[in-house]
Amino acid sequence: MFEILTPMFLSLIVGGTLIGIIFGAIPGMTATMAVAVCLPLTYSLGLENGLALLLGLYVGGISGGLVPAILLGIPGTPSSITTTFDGYPMAKRGEGEKALRIGIVSSFVGGIISLAILWLFAPTLADFAIKFSYVEKFLIIFFALTVMAALSSDMLLGIFSGVLGIFVALIGTYDITKGGNGNMRLVPPGTEYWLDSGFSLLPVLIGLFGLAAILEQAEIGVPKGHSLDEIDVGKKSGFSFSIFKGQSVNLTRSSLIGTFVGILPGVGGSAASIISYTNAKTFSKTPENFGKGEPAGIMASESGNNGLTGGALVPLLSLGIPGDSTTALLIGAFTLQGIQVGPLFIGNNPGTWDAMIIAMLIANIAMLVMMYVAIRYFALVVTIPKHILFPVILMMCVIGAYTINYGIMFDVWTLLIFGLFGWLVVKLKLEVAPFIIGFILGPSAEVYFVKSLESFGDVTIFITKSWIAVVLWLLIIGSVTGSIMLSRRAKQNAATS
Amino acid sequence: MGQLTQVTIDFETSHLLFPTIIACVLGLLGLAIVIRDRAKIATAGTYWSGIWQSMDKPRFLGTIVLTLLYFSLMVPVGDIWPNTGRGFLFCSIPFVFLTGLLFMHERTIKSILPLAVVSLVGPVFVWWLFTYPLFLTLP
Amino acid sequence: MKLTRRTLLAAVSATALLAQPVTAFAQDLPRNIRMVIGSTSTGGDTYQNSAIVAEALSEKLGVNIKVDAVGSSEGFKALSRDKRGTTIMIFHDQAYLGNLYGRQGYDDPFENYAVGPTVAINPGNAYLVPANSPYQSMEDILKAAEAGTKVRVAIQPGGVSEIGFSAMKNAAKVRAPGSEENIVAVNTGSQSDKNQAMWDGLADVINGSIQANEQFTQLSADDQKAMRFVWITARPATLGQAPEAGMGGTTRDDMLAYASPQTSVTLDGTEDFTFDKEFFMLFNKDMDPAIAEKIDTALSEIFAEGAIQERQKASFFIPNYLSIKDANEHLLKKRNTYGKVIADITGES
Repeated sequence: MFEILTPMFLSLIVGGTLIGIIFGAIPGMTATMAVAVCLPLTYSLGLENGLALLLGLYVGGISGGLVPAILLGIPGTPSSITTTFDGYPMAKRGEGEKALRIGIVSSFVGGIISLAILWLFAPTLADFAIKFSYVEKFLIIFFALTVMAALSSDMLLGIFSGVLGIFVALIGTYDITKGGNGNMRLVPPGTEYWLDSGFSLLPVLIGLFGLAAILEQAEIGVPKGHSLDEIDVGKKSGFSFSIFKGQSVNLTRSSLIGTFVGILPGVGGSAASIISYTNAKTFSKTPENFGKGEPAGIMASESGNNGLTGGALVPLLSLGIPGDSTTALLIGAFTLQGIQVGPLFIGNNPGTWDAMIIAMLIANIAMLVMMYVAIRYFALVVTIPKHILFPVILMMCVIGAYTINYGIMFDVWTLLIFGLFGWLVVKLKLEVAPFIIGFILGPSAEVYFVKSLESFGDVTIFITKSWIAVVLWLLIIGSVTGSIMLSRRAKQNAATS
Repeated sequence: MGQLTQVTIDFETSHLLFPTIIACVLGLLGLAIVIRDRAKIATAGTYWSGIWQSMDKPRFLGTIVLTLLYFSLMVPVGDIWPNTGRGFLFCSIPFVFLTGLLFMHERTIKSILPLAVVSLVGPVFVWWLFTYPLFLTLP
Repeated sequence: MKLTRRTLLAAVSATALLAQPVTAFAQDLPRNIRMVIGSTSTGGDTYQNSAIVAEALSEKLGVNIKVDAVGSSEGFKALSRDKRGTTIMIFHDQAYLGNLYGRQGYDDPFENYAVGPTVAINPGNAYLVPANSPYQSMEDILKAAEAGTKVRVAIQPGGVSEIGFSAMKNAAKVRAPGSEENIVAVNTGSQSDKNQAMWDGLADVINGSIQANEQFTQLSADDQKAMRFVWITARPATLGQAPEAGMGGTTRDDMLAYASPQTSVTLDGTEDFTFDKEFFMLFNKDMDPAIAEKIDTALSEIFAEGAIQERQKASFFIPNYLSIKDANEHLLKKRNTYGKVIADITGES
């Protein structure tokens, strides 16, 4: 089992993880892109070594996203959106380094827990995952959507923003590859040429979070100085491991949620951290602190999205079905080498299976060590003068938008449209966080909702389908009542003070 | 009872079902907001003119204009040398420089020089990285 | 062992290619060519195929070729915009099937673009049933439809995944007019959705592929995920070129048993319906034909050398080079055959 641990194997994992972190940390570059550009290399590297590189990229890419999410408020990858909710407020009040450390450790915990689950239970879990039909998947998405209410400071405006996000996500064709009929809707006449596939997630995301933030700065005249004046590089970060005390339930639960969402084909990578975050807030004793710089929020988000890494490999290796867009590329790596993936993969290829587990383990450790060491350098980003940092971020956003779908100029225009939209949304007192969550989950919500009715022909199916559905309803009700109570309490507090 | 809950979805028109539901929900929520916040909405004019007045117009509008130019020129410039990414390269250098200049407060040689270096090295490095090692298409 | 052999092979073929006079063709060709493909996945069959072809072509012609997985709709847009030959496309039968099924974003490729040479076949298109299904064969399925039993088939509508389903309906109609009504589509999306539709009991038959579903056919019959092939749509001559060992636990002979003529889904009562997913090039209609000519010649030489076939077969593709002229003839004929099938079954229902 350990003869695969050649210097080549090890250095590919570490190198892959490093490149992945860099990709993840640059707004607009994603883990998927890192894996995609390195995929052709694996042909000459051979299977085990190729996988070592790709898995390193995957783990690094998912983890690196927390850096700009915390320091700049721009999610480096779609799955780190929820990290911005608490990470950026922490950074703004001078706890950037602390937030980074929390995020990195949580990422590591999520990665390791999900890896353990992958290693021990992969085939069993895959058998459980296929019990989730359209109905259960819709309910999971619905549960994730309830976080919209919890995230908004004004519930009515927040939910409106979220539903608007869903609405905007539906523009374009009802995607045939997801089960739709390929017909166009909600496309204004005359724009069919550009809008036939709707707006892509990544340009929308970096427009809303990146360009819009820069426009807001431009509006107030780009005040002199650094983007975070109170950043505490080199000073005492105020971080100690005691912060994780009392959070082991949150960390474990979030990692498990991330893992499980990864296992469900089609629910999607970004949903993992959103659902973990929703859960953490629902079960928290201090839900009112979420969104204002609550360390537990970062823990939930980061352990959730790294939990995805092991989870998404479960259906890949035990059903031959990818759990997210990055693992979809790994199928390519296998077929390039003439290896079949499917329910017999693990049994037929024990050597490769072991190599993958070991590579993931090493990648997680490498990620932890490298990111921990690099915190100081990450934090330097915010010491760059704004008049240099902002134009460069804009340029990187353009690259990210253009390359995400391999060269589509409309994605760059999407960036501008949603940059302006993001600026306008804030002025209209609407809320960006629910909007983007609605936008991300909208298409899946549609397919699973419509397909549930199409297949079962009865609206009661949402309750009667299975015990899983009932459990999901309980979670949904818990999350909604929690948000309502929270908003009541906030109003009372406002009234008394 | 059983009849009431039954639905038949025609696949050919199923693309309209969910958007219709969402549009209705959106309309209702919008209506609720209009009713609840009617007082605020009535004063929207002053709110927006306040925003317009306090805005740093050169920087805000300048950013938008520069971005528009940047995006519009990238493809035509790139078409002169097809599939080489030079449209991106040759448009990014002035864009980064001019935007930086726009955002800068004291435009002294000492502060312009680092910007000039970054606006030259940044795009060139990124262009090289994407064109050669990463082998991705740029405009 | 496999790896060493393959690495060696790659090294040898690379050296052989380098020895060629690489600049001989390059004068009129654009130096940087963008090859768009009709799929957005860089892990899928279209991308793999295109990458193999792009690499061989770029070595042969001494030009840079980048493969961009922009998807069908964006791919066609990029192709129509560029008359200079700096953008070319690789796609498969979906290009005209999407048009035949009237899907949005699909123009007639023979009219709006110049159809170029074919390069490979993915022979994997297949139909499967659950392991415990009462249907042992296509014959059973068609008989069931004749007897008035509804047979639900999970497909992704509007193209390659639907054509076999259309053929089933057509065969049912040829055998017993009216029975095609009993073969109904369950419209789903990706392979995972189709499998799930089977496991949820929503479909009796699913569209799948040898590559993605073979391992499910090797599971013990009491496994809830177990499946059986009932039909592989490839032409027997195509499957005959597949490696003898086949794939996983299914040998080439096993596969042939599910394909025509042993498994017959009739086209018109005499001939069998077959479908091979063929990958071919598309050019801008107004592109200089000399460029297409150069690419075609280069491809014919690449295939004559023989190294590309090894790479294609290693990824379970069947090498399938047809020159521009032959490809047009062949694909047009194929299109017309399927056009008739689709028209026949939609004309009445």
